[in-house]
Amino acid sequence: MALKLSITPMKMPNFPGFQLSSHRVSMSSTIHSPSVDAGKVKKPFGPREVRVQVTHPLPPEKREIFNSLQDWAEENILVLLKPVEKCWQPNDFLPDPSSEGFEEEVRELRKRTKDLPDDYFVVLVGDMITEEALPTYQTMLNTLDGVRDETGASLTPWAIWTRAWTAEENRHGDLLNKYLYLSGRVDMRQIEKTIQYLIGSGMDPGTDKNPYLGFIYTSFQERATFVSHGNTARLAKEHGDLKLAQICGIIAADEKRHETAYTKIVEKLFEVDPDGTVLALADMMRKKISMPAHLMCDGADDNLFEHFSSVAQRLGVYTAKDYADILEFLVARWEVEKMTGLSGEGRKAQDYVCGLPPRIRKLEERAQARAKKSAPVPFSWIHGREVML
Amino acid sequence: MASVSANFLCSRTSVRLPNQMMMSKKSLRLATVGWGRTPGLTTSRFQITTCAAKKETVDKVCEIVRKQLALPADKEITPQTTFTDLGADSLDTVEIVMGLEEEFDITVQEDNQDNISCIQEAADLIEQLVANKS
Repeated sequence: MALKLSITPMKMPNFPGFQLSSHRVSMSSTIHSPSVDAGKVKKPFGPREVRVQVTHPLPPEKREIFNSLQDWAEENILVLLKPVEKCWQPNDFLPDPSSEGFEEEVRELRKRTKDLPDDYFVVLVGDMITEEALPTYQTMLNTLDGVRDETGASLTPWAIWTRAWTAEENRHGDLLNKYLYLSGRVDMRQIEKTIQYLIGSGMDPGTDKNPYLGFIYTSFQERATFVSHGNTARLAKEHGDLKLAQICGIIAADEKRHETAYTKIVEKLFEVDPDGTVLALADMMRKKISMPAHLMCDGADDNLFEHFSSVAQRLGVYTAKDYADILEFLVARWEVEKMTGLSGEGRKAQDYVCGLPPRIRKLEERAQARAKKSAPVPFSWIHGREVML
Repeated sequence: MASVSANFLCSRTSVRLPNQMMMSKKSLRLATVGWGRTPGLTTSRFQITTCAAKKETVDKVCEIVRKQLALPADKEITPQTTFTDLGADSLDTVEIVMGLEEEFDITVQEDNQDNISCIQEAADLIEQLVANKS
């Protein structure tokens, strides 16, 4: 019963089960518990999630909470969106095709990216693929009771938030896609195939139509993307591509703002329903925060996600330690430790959640101590070139 | 590698020892060669359980499990009790294994770890690993 810790950067504001694999603590989002088994069944439209689809409908009184919070959401959450006129667009960071200097700018881009190492590209591509699976994340938000966009153009603050959030996120995939395309360093066709498979597979993070679970999940995920894009920015700078560093940085800044929004929602839920929310937090952490891209498939590598996660771990872009740190951050942010007046179950949940980060860290230390060197692995995303895990 | 182990097991099963304790049901499992998730320098691992473990080993395992899962003193545990019966999640199970490693000064490989689901199996594996050490 190995724990699989999936740690790849989450697109949706996403972390794996723990696997003390012999090479790393590789994070894959499949937690090997009896009820959750991401069976990677090969299908023509992509691997299928085989999580047991338990549905516990949100009781009416809980759903009512989200109705009553609509005004609050309008005043406190929608303000964290950026007006479109003030937003950056991908073109701001790319060679401008309608300008005279376009071709020169492309040559400069390719000069910069020529020296980026293959393992860095593997991680950047994995991140980009995760971003490009955006339809899955908008869908996931719209599974949630009480906050879903009922018509596609609903005017509840929740629905407005979801559409605008999606629109902001959409620029991330577009920007990374175009940059990678122009670089010439990657196999775009393989990447595009991977994206098609991934959107076809979708994902089920175990949020069970429950907005408590949903917003806890997104809080975690947004912080994780903030951390990982921040790390890719830092690495780009170290490798001398300042433009790419700027790109990853601007994406990370968006993620930070989104993290602020989602954590604010959960903070409000803790205020309004402390017991329910702490139980939800423990539930999500027991299920483990699964990575949105854990079902990724490129038609070439049966363990693609695991390999990608390992590289991300090795490069320090997103690690098991980050998972523990993020949980600890959220526990502190929501002041879970200080909560009083909880039910018996609530106190158990509180203890579980507060005690979890050190347990994860201990596991990670053990895994690192046992990490064995393994042979380099080819990635179709970089034309089959090999990278150390 | 695999065929050698299989032969080893076959020859073992032909031995008759009247006082031998009943073999655990897993004892005839074929040796497995474990591959790491990534091609690499992983060693093959055997899962061979032989005679059932000594009572004191089983008791020690129970003690460690009780502590890890914070079980009430009156909660009954038998050698056949599985960890999941006791409400352990995957994190608990790994920590139980870590506790056993510390207590018995052994190293449990990942593949063997997957095969421990009850007290008896844990105790059997421990004795195997302790015997291998000396």
